[in-house]
Amino acid sequence: MIAYKFLAAGGIGPFSGFRWPRGEWVEAGGVEECRRGVHACRARDLPYWLGQELWEAELDGEIVEHERKLAASRGRLVRRRDEWAPPLADAFVGDLLRRTRGALGTIPGVSGYVADIERFRAGRRVGLAAFAAARAAEHYGGAPAYERERARQAAWLTEHLRLDDA
Amino acid sequence: MATSTEHAVIEALRAGDEDAFRALVAELGPSMLRLARHYVSSAAVAEEVVQEAWLGVLRGLDRFEGRSSLRTWIFTILTNTAKTRGVREGRTLPFSSLAAQEGTGPAVEPDRFLPDDSRFPGHWAVRPERWEGAERLLARETLDVIERAIARLPAAQAIVLTMRDVEGFDSAEVCNALDLTETNQRVLLHRARSAVRRALEEYMR
Amino acid sequence: MRLDRELPCVEVVELVTAYLEQRLSPLDTERFEEHLAFCDGCSTYLEQMRATVAATGAVADETLPPELEDKLLEVFRDWKRR
Repeated sequence: MIAYKFLAAGGIGPFSGFRWPRGEWVEAGGVEECRRGVHACRARDLPYWLGQELWEAELDGEIVEHERKLAASRGRLVRRRDEWAPPLADAFVGDLLRRTRGALGTIPGVSGYVADIERFRAGRRVGLAAFAAARAAEHYGGAPAYERERARQAAWLTEHLRLDDA
Repeated sequence: MATSTEHAVIEALRAGDEDAFRALVAELGPSMLRLARHYVSSAAVAEEVVQEAWLGVLRGLDRFEGRSSLRTWIFTILTNTAKTRGVREGRTLPFSSLAAQEGTGPAVEPDRFLPDDSRFPGHWAVRPERWEGAERLLARETLDVIERAIARLPAAQAIVLTMRDVEGFDSAEVCNALDLTETNQRVLLHRARSAVRRALEEYMR
Repeated sequence: MRLDRELPCVEVVELVTAYLEQRLSPLDTERFEEHLAFCDGCSTYLEQMRATVAATGAVADETLPPELEDKLLEVFRDWKRR
């Protein structure tokens, strides 16, 4: 199946430092307990893993669905999604900033998050901006609001990156 | 598991091969001395411990079964010898979890994090800075910073850190040699590494 | 993330060793990595920890003091003669 992976600059795994080959299958052995296994995102998971490079990945073998990711016994990078680059990432943050400002901008106790997101945007800290927007939503509307904000983030990415599933 | 090379070394020692002994001493001796030093009151006593340990190794050659590596076996003799000597000197080493909690604080100073009433409680108030230049970390001066940080550690932490990160023993080997649970060992390792990282952060500023 | 799933940075720095040892529970491993995905402070901290471990491994092994080497040779020769 096709899924997505965010990697650090140079096609490197952000936690393992593993240098991903292009096109070649990478075996991860079993997928026991999330320790091993090739990790990848469904479209709805993307907001949690925002990184520098976005890749389309093909997964095979045993595929386990976790709350915020997939784990597969083998996977390979198919192609890089070059559209995910600083300008688009900034547009993404602009969108969640507008949404947060609109929903919560004047509410004391929550409006400070708007200034935070503006700062994170200026620092190009995209993942942190997305987290802050979800945190702000949760602060005002509880866990359901958090999930709704994350779903909006995923929807924006799905639409603007023209991803297949949602 | 002992390799065939290690069994060959054992055979050579049993046959009285002095060159084999010299080579093994050159390879392991400095590390053994470094480790022994954490158990006892002086460098001179540490040297005595190392002598005693090697005698224990030679006397125990016939008993070596090869279930662990030769190095692990030798270091187990070393740590047992050092511990006994330390006890004779009135030094008991607090390896227990309870004792390990004492005398050391959190991994990072609490004021580095945002307070509970902030929008991001517990998040970095002042982020750590990336250490640029990997070569700098391997420079003599930096290694001295690490050595000094290790010397300042409580002995139990220093011993675990030395065995794991200086000497490269794995978790199971250290737990076996020191008779620690995996959790015990990990707590000591965590505190030790955190302290060394703090010292390096201070230095790299 | 949702507050019930969050690991704030102050907790993350206490879990780093367990993470590197692969001794965190599967759930905590996920929470740890989810946090690192957006928190560059903690990513940097993990990097520093890895660098610390690597540098500690480079701490030089001195040679033995010559008198100790001599004494050890004596120990060997005495033992040989037993």
